[in-house]
Amino acid sequence: MKLFSGRRAFVLQRLSALVLLAYFTAGALRLALGPPVTYVQWQTWSAQPLAAAALLVLVAALLGHVWVGIRDVVLDYVHSPGLRLAVLGAAAAGLAFLASWTVLILVAHVNSA
Amino acid sequence: MQRTHRPTFLNLARIRFPVGAVASIGHRISGIVLVCALPFVFYALERSLRSEAAFGAMIELMRSPAGRAALVLLAWASAHHLFAGIRHLLMDVGVGASLGAARTSAYATLGVAVAVAAATALLA
Repeated sequence: MKLFSGRRAFVLQRLSALVLLAYFTAGALRLALGPPVTYVQWQTWSAQPLAAAALLVLVAALLGHVWVGIRDVVLDYVHSPGLRLAVLGAAAAGLAFLASWTVLILVAHVNSA
Repeated sequence: MQRTHRPTFLNLARIRFPVGAVASIGHRISGIVLVCALPFVFYALERSLRSEAAFGAMIELMRSPAGRAALVLLAWASAHHLFAGIRHLLMDVGVGASLGAARTSAYATLGVAVAVAAATALLA
């Protein structure tokens, strides 16, 4: 996994952190200052292609950030090469599952609107 | 000089960690907490778009005692991870990297994260 290690991981971690910071700030401001979000609002907003795309960017940044974090923690505490490979493999599979699941959910949602 | 063979105890409860170390390990612990919450967050996303009933059931679950406790924990973890992360990013570019400033921002990070958790407990 050269693609997500070394200096690339360092850069990915920090760039995704800035993306997450922007989304988190916007989301927290909306929840704190606006009225509670209803099902209809959430449903119609997220069915717009641009909104769904923005959610996918959020999920991509989140899962990329999570990958580098898990990797850092595993490299620090899991020293046996076999176990390390197993844990990192399981983490990568889990994150890939969440990524594809989200794409399926959002694509189906946009198409149903 | 006589070598003693008396054991050396590193009692973690009695070692005094510098505040920067506490903020830093908190960043890691909160990150692990957030990763553990990830499957539930994605499940909540799926439920929230499934139907109005599923959306309502999710809100109900968040308002149950266990749901509120989970929200408070996640509010702490999110706030600590966010502010400790901003602190590390600023230090990367040389802002607040002096010892005095770093100690102040470490105290601020710990305090604000606990305040966010307390506000969540009161308001959620």
